[in-house]
Amino acid sequence: MPITRRKYLSSLAATGAAALAAPMVSPARAADKLSIAVIPIADCAPIYLGKAKGFFEKQNLDIELSTQGGGAAIIPGVLSGQLQFGFSNVPSLLIAQTKGLKFIGIAPGVASTGISGNDFCATLVPGDSPINSAKDLTGKTVAVNNLNNIGEVAVRAGVKAAGGDPKSVKYIEVPFPDMPAALADHHIEAGWMVEPFVTIARSRGDKVVDWPFVAIAPKVMIAIYFASEQYANANPDIVKRFKAAMAESLAYADSHTDEVRQMIPTYTRISPEVAGKITLPIWPAEFNRPSIQALADDSLEVGLISKKADVAALLP
Amino acid sequence: MSAPTTNVRAKTSARTIVWLQGLAGLAGFAALLEIVPRSGLVSPYYLPPLSTIMVALFGEIHRAEFWSALSDTLKAWAIGLAISLVAGILISIAIGSSHVLRTLTHSTIEFLRPIPSVALIPLAVLLFGSQIQSTLVLVVYASFWQVLIQVLYGVQDVDPVARETARSYGLGRWAQIRYVIWPTTLPYLMTGVRLAAAVALILAITSEVAIDTQGLGKEIADTESGGAVAAMYAYLIVAGVIGVIVNLGARALERRVLAWHPSIRLDSAEAGA
Repeated sequence: MPITRRKYLSSLAATGAAALAAPMVSPARAADKLSIAVIPIADCAPIYLGKAKGFFEKQNLDIELSTQGGGAAIIPGVLSGQLQFGFSNVPSLLIAQTKGLKFIGIAPGVASTGISGNDFCATLVPGDSPINSAKDLTGKTVAVNNLNNIGEVAVRAGVKAAGGDPKSVKYIEVPFPDMPAALADHHIEAGWMVEPFVTIARSRGDKVVDWPFVAIAPKVMIAIYFASEQYANANPDIVKRFKAAMAESLAYADSHTDEVRQMIPTYTRISPEVAGKITLPIWPAEFNRPSIQALADDSLEVGLISKKADVAALLP
Repeated sequence: MSAPTTNVRAKTSARTIVWLQGLAGLAGFAALLEIVPRSGLVSPYYLPPLSTIMVALFGEIHRAEFWSALSDTLKAWAIGLAISLVAGILISIAIGSSHVLRTLTHSTIEFLRPIPSVALIPLAVLLFGSQIQSTLVLVVYASFWQVLIQVLYGVQDVDPVARETARSYGLGRWAQIRYVIWPTTLPYLMTGVRLAAAVALILAITSEVAIDTQGLGKEIADTESGGAVAAMYAYLIVAGVIGVIVNLGARALERRVLAWHPSIRLDSAEAGA
């Protein structure tokens, strides 16, 4: 018994010594370590590709990526400084902004393809539903993954563009993974979904009635990589290098979709088979400011935000 | 000599029968999980047959992520439980041995205790984001009360005569705790440990699902959001198995620690152990 305890203590001591010694063996000019949180969806493939291709290493950045399902903890994480950068959709950042939280967009995240009929987000109904177009959604209840977020903005824009009455559409909250089942059982009349669930639902017989992102703006920029204003102001050099690495990653992903499809199953649980079939978004390397302004205007109209968003402050 | 032996044999076979019945129940449940999706009662896409889930489970255990998720969950569980035990024991013995402290804290404890741990999720996220500390906040908050309340009852259950005797024999404060309070409290504490161990596991996995801290719960959330339905059920099975192991472990510990206690001693004597 005493021997085991001594052994245990000595192993503890050894661990302690190793922990103390660790900083000494690291090189003098170590890469800047960054903690970044993204969402495990196809949209975030570029940053994983960029890491694998060494685009961040080239900028002397050592990025540690973590995924967060709903993305709910990303904004508090960036705010508290546990995360240096995060991935978020634009409406969530605008909501945060109107509540007085100061964030700055650092790099483009992801954009809609701008092609009606081939986008990564769609509004679907059961195959036998009498609803055949966005206009038919008038007076219906549509499921979105989060109330008061981009789903409502998109669906309303689509209904409005099709000549329906967007104000009469009601919304209920259903997680994306549950939507195909809820449609199949006719628990919901329509569901606003993103990939891979658009592909999964279509393969199960549901039909698309709208590709609503197109109605907001052409190739609307849905999400961006952001930092807190405080961090961005204090670390202009790191921000500059992160921007450069992201620009290279986004451009690479946009032109190497085969590698994107191979990368997706490594950081999500989307199967390689489904990853090969889904409609990918596009990854512009520059901010699409007019589209973000349009998204901000629509968010105000829908009541997501109570006062006019300051897009110039988000994207200085 | 022969009578007790038969008795022991009878008891042993009774125990075997209980085990067999348990296994039969499990087998029945497994058969149901296989038949219901296959019969089309529910869509096999959303509830795959057990055989499909087992294939997915086999695939999962070959991934490094499975083992790191498992160890993350067990780590959060163990650390959280340890904190709850130490804090719960120390605080409840302190409170329990002073009448003034007991009256002072009673209303506060009764106010804090019913607050569901999951209600603290927003607070944990704000304080710690998706780090292990967030899980620990939830785990400790939920399991701490289980220990505290049990030990408090235990301390109050100390025989006043024994306490007075110890005092009149001049036993110091520590000696009183060691020889009078501790033995009385131990059975209560063991109940607290068993409850806390289960609650800690539930909250560890809950917080991983809800706030994406690393662990089995995050795998459940990720497989769900990735449309890997069979793998998601595989993780549910893993969570269930861990629950069973934790409970068996807690019971075994109880039996060993309380081997001297009349309730366990009688039980063991009857079982012929």
